Amino acid sequence: MIELKNITKIYGINTNNKVIALEDINLKIKEGELVVLRGASGSGKSTILSLIAALSKPSSGEVIVDNKRISKLQDNFASIYRRDNIGFVFQKYNLISTLSVKENIILPLVPLNLDVKDVEDKLSVVTKRFNIAHKENTIVRNLSGGEQQRVAIARANINNPKIILADEPTANLDEKLSLNFIDILKELKKLNKTIIIATHDPLFFGLDFVDRELKIHNGKIIS
Amino acid sequence: MKNKINIYLIEYAINSILRQKAKNFFIVFVFILLIFLLTSIFFITNSIKYELETTVDSLPQIIVQKIKAGRQYDIDENVVDQLIKIEGVKDVVSRVWGYYYFANAGVNFSIVGLNEYENQYKNSFKKIIQNVELEKGNTSFMVMGQGVQKVLNENYYDKYFNFIRPNGTLKKVNFAGTFDADTELESNDVIVVSKDTFRDIFDMDENKATDIVVKVSNPKEISMIASKIKLIYPDTRVITSDDLKVSYQNIFDYKSGVFLAIFIISLFTFFIIIYDKSSGLTSEEKREIGILKAIGWKIDDVLKEKFYESFIISSFSYIFGVGLSFIYVYIFHAPLLQNIFTGYSQLKTSFELPFIFDIQTLFLVFFLSVPSYIGATIIPSWRIATLEADEVIR
Amino acid sequence: MILSPEILAILILDFIFIFFAIIAFILSIKIFLGWDANSTTKKQYRLEKQSFLTAIIIKYIFIVKVPLFLFFIFTLDKMSNVIIGAMCAAGVVDATPYGIYLFIFKIMNLYFFGYWLVIHNEDIKYETQPYTRLKFGIFIGIFFLFIVELILEWLMFSSINIDKMVSCCGTLYSSSSTSSISIIFHINKTLLLSIFYGNFLFIYIFYLLRKKYLFVIANILFILTAISSLIVFFGTYIYELPTHHCPFCFLQSDYYYVGYLIYTLLFIGTFYGIITGFVEKSKGNKIENYKISVIFNFLYVILVSLYPIIFYIKNGVWL
Repeated sequence: MIELKNITKIYGINTNNKVIALEDINLKIKEGELVVLRGASGSGKSTILSLIAALSKPSSGEVIVDNKRISKLQDNFASIYRRDNIGFVFQKYNLISTLSVKENIILPLVPLNLDVKDVEDKLSVVTKRFNIAHKENTIVRNLSGGEQQRVAIARANINNPKIILADEPTANLDEKLSLNFIDILKELKKLNKTIIIATHDPLFFGLDFVDRELKIHNGKIIS
Repeated sequence: MKNKINIYLIEYAINSILRQKAKNFFIVFVFILLIFLLTSIFFITNSIKYELETTVDSLPQIIVQKIKAGRQYDIDENVVDQLIKIEGVKDVVSRVWGYYYFANAGVNFSIVGLNEYENQYKNSFKKIIQNVELEKGNTSFMVMGQGVQKVLNENYYDKYFNFIRPNGTLKKVNFAGTFDADTELESNDVIVVSKDTFRDIFDMDENKATDIVVKVSNPKEISMIASKIKLIYPDTRVITSDDLKVSYQNIFDYKSGVFLAIFIISLFTFFIIIYDKSSGLTSEEKREIGILKAIGWKIDDVLKEKFYESFIISSFSYIFGVGLSFIYVYIFHAPLLQNIFTGYSQLKTSFELPFIFDIQTLFLVFFLSVPSYIGATIIPSWRIATLEADEVIR
Repeated sequence: MILSPEILAILILDFIFIFFAIIAFILSIKIFLGWDANSTTKKQYRLEKQSFLTAIIIKYIFIVKVPLFLFFIFTLDKMSNVIIGAMCAAGVVDATPYGIYLFIFKIMNLYFFGYWLVIHNEDIKYETQPYTRLKFGIFIGIFFLFIVELILEWLMFSSINIDKMVSCCGTLYSSSSTSSISIIFHINKTLLLSIFYGNFLFIYIFYLLRKKYLFVIANILFILTAISSLIVFFGTYIYELPTHHCPFCFLQSDYYYVGYLIYTLLFIGTFYGIITGFVEKSKGNKIENYKISVIFNFLYVILVSLYPIIFYIKNGVWL
């Protein structure tokens, strides 16, 4: 379903401080699979996520999702692809801190020009599922870290995407909240979503519901 | 439905404007001020134009003046008898009128001499003659506009006024009342006296008049008859009401054109500021656009959102500016600004601006403000919308 | 030259248009020459970004141009008060040698800009962007027409002389006039009306048959037959005067600005009619275009026909 073919990604390609983020990566991920990408920061695991999300383009090689060449997509169509297929939970959550929880969660729906009822329906599904409904009108700035993450997850799921990408999801959480996140993961897995998590948190290693663990080091998959 | 208005996007745009309060407040404030000034100028000129046109309409169709050495001289009364013979002429009346400088108050009065038994060339004068009871045998009376009465009362003239003749002697004239006319511009500074009194005050010959007015049966023949008069009396200047109308319109188009030119300069300065303001993005703003694109907004969506923002800002400023100017001009009668356009003697400036609602002015101001504002934000918006999401959210 | 606020406003907007159109023009050339949808080079990415700027500029010009055109006519009407002899915009248009060409270019460019937008909307629906080179190539052509329009506008406003007498619409639009327009007065009225209604009937038939190109041709002809029959026949009923044929006077307030409605209906109807032929593989909205075209043309026919019918009911005679 997701396929990375001979992917190389070099940052600052025409400058003196070239950084090779990924080197000749080949990877196939099946539908409904939960994959954990392990590696230290700077190892290139975040870059893999952003390539799959079509947020950046590979220097060479191809990303294919559902038989579509994502790496060739023009900016607008990359956005449409993300909107319809990808739920991205960013490391810093990337919420707009001055907007309310509700306004943040429905952001992906705003350009779609849906009816109020549709929007409210979709909103209530995710706010209930991720246990944030009671804070709907709170300004995001005033939420705790764990709550902010739940908002980010709710936003990532509002379009009911097939693929969930999470970048260092537990980096800013204490242990209790991290365990909470693991529960959420289990639930998403039950919904048969393809999930890819980039993390160096040992909490994720050796979990029974994780299908595969890949170790990334210096832009290469080592195991 | 593709064409439905996207309320969520509007909501987001409004939120986005409010998030940049300081910046947008400044822009809106200056923009409102500019629109307010521009609209006020147009409103004032429109009103004055209307006043003048009404005045011109009530003016005679043809005025005949005697010109000697390039200056206007008194014309012989017997010209009237010649003019009445021209075919198509309905009525000919000689007029005596002039300006009297009242040194104590530093103002000019317009003085008009009328004769009871003649046909009056103005309806308002007809009324005066009818309304004021004249004491038989005593022709020494005056009827004045309210502005005149006010000035005279301030100078302690309650019952009569002493005119100073050219030779320095005094001429006492009793008050017989005040009058209203169709427009204030026309009547505010006018004093009506009898022809005899007029000639007495200004030491004018019995068989002379200031000018002669001609009434024509068919308004379409005005220019024809005017050229005939010019042929018979080559030493006269013949003015038609159409001439006056065109020259009035030109003067005012010119005056507001000058203001518009000044306005354009300030407008361009303003747009450079807008361009600058909307180009200079904080990292927070960049991050926001990055987030939006990362969660599936297209470039077109971001552009649309930015368009909504500038449309909301500019229409809000437009409506607010125009509204303010309505209040300023028609309720408060445009203090300060009015004086620029009414460059007459002090008395003249006291008139009230009639309410003229002209849709075209609203369109004019709209085209000058809203599209150009949106234009100024096109390139900055595009720069924002095409940012690489990946680079700004890291 | 008359320095009236309205003219200045139009010239300011023209100036903004030129500024943006030149940017769009330069980018169009770059895109037209360098576009390669399959390429993944930095240059192609840059061109893709620039194509958005070009598109939004063209959209902006079009969106402002449409209401500005109405404002332009409004301004001409107002100027007719100042110009001796002119009773409505027709006299002002006739006051300079550029007027009539300016008018033709303005209308033509409205159609072209509208057409460009239609291709653009088609183009951005597909990931391959099949029309990108085509649409920017077309814009290069439109740019020159647009510049001609702006130059004509400038020439017209600067050469209007308020002291010169001009003809009023009464003499311009009459059979005795020597202008090229007077030819239509020599056509038999009944024949002209039959052509007009027949033309509309053909539009409807081609719509039922979905004959794309015939539908387009019928629509182009409809612009001509509609305007000639308006001048020769329907106009006289709007004015209720058998001798008044002017196609501008009914834009004035005396006739409740009905002219704006008449021309808007005709424009929308024929515009959607014409574009049906140029858009090739649209996803289902082709039928929409046909429908819009037929509906608006029909409304136009109804509106202009109402005038003589009501006149006949009220007075019991034809003019």
